[in-house]
Amino acid sequence: MESKIRIEVLFPEIANLYGDLANIEYLKKSYPELEVVETHLIGEPEFMKRVPSLIYMGTLTENGQRLATEKLSHYKEKLAEMIDGGVRFLVTGNALEVFGGKIEDTDGSVDMGLGIFPIHARRDMMHRFNSLYLGSFGGMNIVGYKSQFTHSWRDDETDDGDFESVFETYRGPGLNPEIKGEGIRKNNFIGTYVIGPLLVLNPPFAKWLLKEMGAGDVTLAFEREAMEAYEVRVKEYSDPDTGFYY
Amino acid sequence: MGKLRYFIALWAAKLSIAALKVTGHNGTNFPGVLALKICPRFLKYAAKPEKIIAVTGTNGKTTICNMLLDMLTMDGQKVLNNKMGSNINSGIATSLIYGCSMLGKCKYEIGVFEVDERSALRIYPYMKPDYMLITNLSRDSIMRNGHPEYIAGILTRYIPASTKLILNADDLISSAVAPENSRVYFGIEEMPGDIRECVNLINDMQICPECHSRLKYEYLRYNHIGKAYCPVCGFKAPEYDYAGVNVSLEDMKIEVRDKEGTGCYRLLNESVFNIYNVVSAAALLREMGYSHEKIQGFFEKLNIVGTRFDQEHVGDKTLYRLLAKEKNAFATTRVFDYISGLPGDKEIILMNSCQGDMKHWSENTCWLYDCDFEFLNREEIKNIVLCGPRRFDHRLRLLLAGVPEDRLSYAEKETDAPDKLKLFDNDNVFVLYGTDSIALGKKVADRVFDMMKKNSADEKGGEK
Repeated sequence: MESKIRIEVLFPEIANLYGDLANIEYLKKSYPELEVVETHLIGEPEFMKRVPSLIYMGTLTENGQRLATEKLSHYKEKLAEMIDGGVRFLVTGNALEVFGGKIEDTDGSVDMGLGIFPIHARRDMMHRFNSLYLGSFGGMNIVGYKSQFTHSWRDDETDDGDFESVFETYRGPGLNPEIKGEGIRKNNFIGTYVIGPLLVLNPPFAKWLLKEMGAGDVTLAFEREAMEAYEVRVKEYSDPDTGFYY
Repeated sequence: MGKLRYFIALWAAKLSIAALKVTGHNGTNFPGVLALKICPRFLKYAAKPEKIIAVTGTNGKTTICNMLLDMLTMDGQKVLNNKMGSNINSGIATSLIYGCSMLGKCKYEIGVFEVDERSALRIYPYMKPDYMLITNLSRDSIMRNGHPEYIAGILTRYIPASTKLILNADDLISSAVAPENSRVYFGIEEMPGDIRECVNLINDMQICPECHSRLKYEYLRYNHIGKAYCPVCGFKAPEYDYAGVNVSLEDMKIEVRDKEGTGCYRLLNESVFNIYNVVSAAALLREMGYSHEKIQGFFEKLNIVGTRFDQEHVGDKTLYRLLAKEKNAFATTRVFDYISGLPGDKEIILMNSCQGDMKHWSENTCWLYDCDFEFLNREEIKNIVLCGPRRFDHRLRLLLAGVPEDRLSYAEKETDAPDKLKLFDNDNVFVLYGTDSIALGKKVADRVFDMMKKNSADEKGGEK
């Protein structure tokens, strides 16, 4: 019998930096009935056969971004159609840049993205950006980290249409240091630079996501301990004496 | 002007050394920092030893540098090194300042330098090593090093064309750096305990660099370290010029085979990490022209330095002091794996909160989910004491790794952690500390040692 909730993880062999795959592990541990399927660089993506409850992609190397973009470019129309149709996506770290227009490197090179969202990233491999993150989502505090060589900007900064921010930032940068809006949200697509892993560090957000996927009110794996770690972190990040930039 | 500036920098730095000695602050990088401040291209003009060996890579470089330093010293050589300072440009500059006269003449013929991978761009344009040993490249500090592919790119860009590379063929990431450079490869042939599939969370070489199909391994040690091949396009890992063979943990020996013969070397400890250290150091010394016999003699007299690995027996108990680099999932996993493989029941004091980050901001804990805490889910590990500001994160990670709650104890302060030990019969207690908590680690371990001694004395008293 087919499981009700299915998560498709895109390219776990390359999109796995900074503990990001623990996002899905945590959901699986919290809701063992859910099915996790992997789509690899070789072969046809699972979403071409059946639409899952959630498509997940985690942080990649710069070369990994190129490989993922090249692979997904063959399915760009289907991806855009799924996003427009409300299929749920969670994309963390620099994986969100794969869905943007391009990544401009300070060395003059340009990597093209899928062009689904009107954003472009600027990359400087000699300057790594590190910070803590504190924001909010639907009344929940969101905590996590930024650790990246890039930031992203809307192609037309005067036009805030087409997509919304995911998180409202209290401390730390948004999609870029000049704005407070963090991430890309369109229908059920959520893309954010915030890593942590995001769902492990933010149990209320993990619960919300499971509920959205149809799992109901789930008690998370080690929810009490996860909440205690979360509350300690929220308190720490809310303290003005806590430095935010590395 | 450049040379004049250099001499002003040199003399000012030399003066600072005298001042530091008087005030008891020797061993810092200050002379190098000062020299680089006065003369930013100090490294370009600084006199250097005739022969330079650089050791770089994510893990093992300090241990290998210490081994090389000891071995070359045993050979009667006066070796300039940066053991007392840092492995970035100011540390190298400090060593060169110590190593030269007031007239700027280098007093050493040979230099062994540990070089931070990311500092390549600030060092190699001015200092061209004759030999460079790259131990391995793996994930390190997320904030500083990003990912190993990035570090490999930096090395490829900045390693001088004239440098001969000694590379780990069992690591496809580091073995591919600077492809135009002259190179030899070391590796270890299949040995007992090898596996075929990666069991670690980190595996940064899952796809073929040529065709992107899934790689397979003839044998695998940990993470991506092993002999890889692509079953689709035929891509293979480089062949070994220096092959570690016939590893015997019973006799603590390994043979290193090259095209001219085979040497039998003493292993310094049984961890695979350290077996690689032995093979790589032997490969480098062979390249420098030392005979197998001579290198064998060096190894017989070597010890591993205390800050990295240390064990003491007190009565029926053993205390281990182990470095588990904070925020380095790869290195900490190796330590966890090593502990889990040792016989006997154990307790662990986990001091893995980053002390440095506590002062200025808050630690980025992503590394916890790259690190195989699952290795600590063993019945023989009876008690893990969690302490420091990130103990709540460590608790969640261990629970998710399957470690039962009743095997976890808590202490807010690291110095209180020993009180949570059970100190049962034949206990093996591991104190794990990071590079920025060596002093705190020593303090905690010393307290455990005192408790063990008291425990042992009480038991003896009880027997009477």
